[in-house]
Amino acid sequence: MTDSTVATSVADREARRKEAYFTASQSQLIWARFRKNRSAMIAGIVLAVMILLGLFADFVGPYNPTIAGRDADYTNGAPQIPRFCDDDGCSLRPFIYGTKRERSIATNFRWVTTQDTDDKRYVQFFVHGDSYRFLGFNADLHLFGVDKGYIHLFGTDDAGKDIFSRTLHAIRTSLAVGTIGVVISFVMALAIGGVAGYFGVRIDGVIQMITDAVRVVPAIPLFMALAAFVPDTWSAETRFFFISIILGLIGWPTLARRVRTHILVERNQDYVLAARLSGARPGHIIRRHLLPSFTSYIIVDLVISFPYMVLSETALSFIGLGLKDPVNSLGVMLQNTTGADVLLNYQWYFIPVIFFVTLVMAFVFVGDGLRDAADPYASSRK
Amino acid sequence: MGPFLRFATLRAGLALVTLLLVSLIVFSLMELVPGNCAERYLAYKNTQGENISFEDIAAEEARLGLDQPFLIRWGTWTANAFQGDFGTSCILRVDIAQLLGDKFLISALICFAALFMAYLIAIPVGIYAASSRNPVINNALRLVSYLGLALPNFLLALMIMLFFTVYYGDTMTGLFSREFRDAEWSWARVQDFLGRAWLPVFILGWSATAFALQTVRALMLDENDKLYVTAARARGLYGSRLRWRYPARHALGPIVNSLGFDLNRIFNELPIVAVILTLTEAGALLLEALARSNDQQLAGAIIFLLTATIVGLNFVTDLALALLDPRMRNSVLGARA
Repeated sequence: MTDSTVATSVADREARRKEAYFTASQSQLIWARFRKNRSAMIAGIVLAVMILLGLFADFVGPYNPTIAGRDADYTNGAPQIPRFCDDDGCSLRPFIYGTKRERSIATNFRWVTTQDTDDKRYVQFFVHGDSYRFLGFNADLHLFGVDKGYIHLFGTDDAGKDIFSRTLHAIRTSLAVGTIGVVISFVMALAIGGVAGYFGVRIDGVIQMITDAVRVVPAIPLFMALAAFVPDTWSAETRFFFISIILGLIGWPTLARRVRTHILVERNQDYVLAARLSGARPGHIIRRHLLPSFTSYIIVDLVISFPYMVLSETALSFIGLGLKDPVNSLGVMLQNTTGADVLLNYQWYFIPVIFFVTLVMAFVFVGDGLRDAADPYASSRK
Repeated sequence: MGPFLRFATLRAGLALVTLLLVSLIVFSLMELVPGNCAERYLAYKNTQGENISFEDIAAEEARLGLDQPFLIRWGTWTANAFQGDFGTSCILRVDIAQLLGDKFLISALICFAALFMAYLIAIPVGIYAASSRNPVINNALRLVSYLGLALPNFLLALMIMLFFTVYYGDTMTGLFSREFRDAEWSWARVQDFLGRAWLPVFILGWSATAFALQTVRALMLDENDKLYVTAARARGLYGSRLRWRYPARHALGPIVNSLGFDLNRIFNELPIVAVILTLTEAGALLLEALARSNDQQLAGAIIFLLTATIVGLNFVTDLALALLDPRMRNSVLGARA
């Protein structure tokens, strides 16, 4: 008796599972497959956290990342790690030590920064600090701060700017550059690849030849040639948009090729023929049949090409042709690590590099996971 | 004309068209840079206290042939470029071909060495990894491949330099040690060069290896499941004999085909590595030309040479493939699709 009810409920559940599977939309199927891929899921969570950190950089970062938020008394300062206990006992509220700068005969007349264990600064949450604009509002609330003086989780740079705040803003800038670049190259790729794929034969041949010619030119030297047009007098914002546009303008050939291949393959499918035989107009076929058939692939392609945009921005800024120091981008932060001083004395400059590597890795893992999830034959191959 | 010859001529023609298109792109870019050579020359005279007028500029433009229409100037530039003459840089005022000289050759040599190293490692390891079901090996390889993309090569360079500075007291920067920098080529100089060139080769090859590993492994995975492999297995072949004689031979085609794009990727990283290691070769010259002096003639020449190298390599790999695989000769245009 009990056996049969268990059996029916199992069969029932099986039937419902199948029902759900057969009626699921493309995106639901992709999500279901993506969820099974553990490394991609972890990377997805990391990526989401990074994006949120970038979006709310003003709130999470305790200080203004520009020179306005500098801590003049703590330049090239080491990271301050909050602690709970010291010789005087423990406190539930984490604290850091203040610092003292001293220059005397005892220090051979050089500025020496020492920790002052009597000067305890307690970490507080939701404090009011430097003001910023968020969604059109003026705000000055920050996630954390200390009751007096400054706290620098990742230390400070040579001007006393807080590296933690700078890193968060750098993530935002790099993501923004990548997004603009990807959108531009996506629009161009869709237009050029779409024309090549849909009209085929002769137009396709000519467009392919041009695409191949653009693709064969090494991108970074070409970036460099284009970025050299930027006059030094341009403001940081103009520069930023110009660089993003360049990235987009050069990134399209790879995407255009994929769009073309998708359309070339899809337009000869039976369902397109069926739609055509039913009397559907070309516009209807493209919108209702062709585009939905590969939107998921296009999204995957976009995610995959994203890290290359971030990498290109970094490479350009690193060489000194992209964004420059007042702007916080990951490339600028990486460039700051190249001094010999940094390697030997100020190793905390390298902390943004960890974020950079994590961001790129997260994108690559998510992109790979999405690609496997979007490919219904991927699981049978393994 | 045999099918191979027909294939070769067609490919050569296509490569030439690509090069022409590239030269058009590069030349247009050079033209877009504000200010031309005539203005530059006369601006210099202006700093020497001479008064210059618009007529002077026009006369200078006529002397340099800059008053001709765009297409004619492009044609002249391209025709000269194909003969290895890139004119003079109007900022440095030296002949570009002379300036580049062996610097470009050294760069190309380093890049090809990096490419060679990448495939020397990637082909055996990738083929082995594809047939191995060991999850540890597979995951480790995946991680290495991703790190090749995400770990910036300059960071790697910095670490290695730090290591050498601390332990050997030599920063390993530059391609020659101080006493050989401007010396004539000699056996000692070659030795000195080889003793230092491995570092840029290694750094450039590092990410190339990671990419190549991924390519080789994915291609082998695709081939491993094909029916002819199963058939060969059914006939009693196994192990490395099976792997190398069946799927590896089929995967070779796309691998050879991807060489051109790998070289492209290595060229991309050349300027960055050049900055870190303070190499005095083409990558650094390009950077110098662009970032500091806006020297469009030099920059154009370097980009054109880099691209021509890639187009040349693509042509050679296509021919090699056609020799290896007769099917390729028939699909003249589809070979790269």
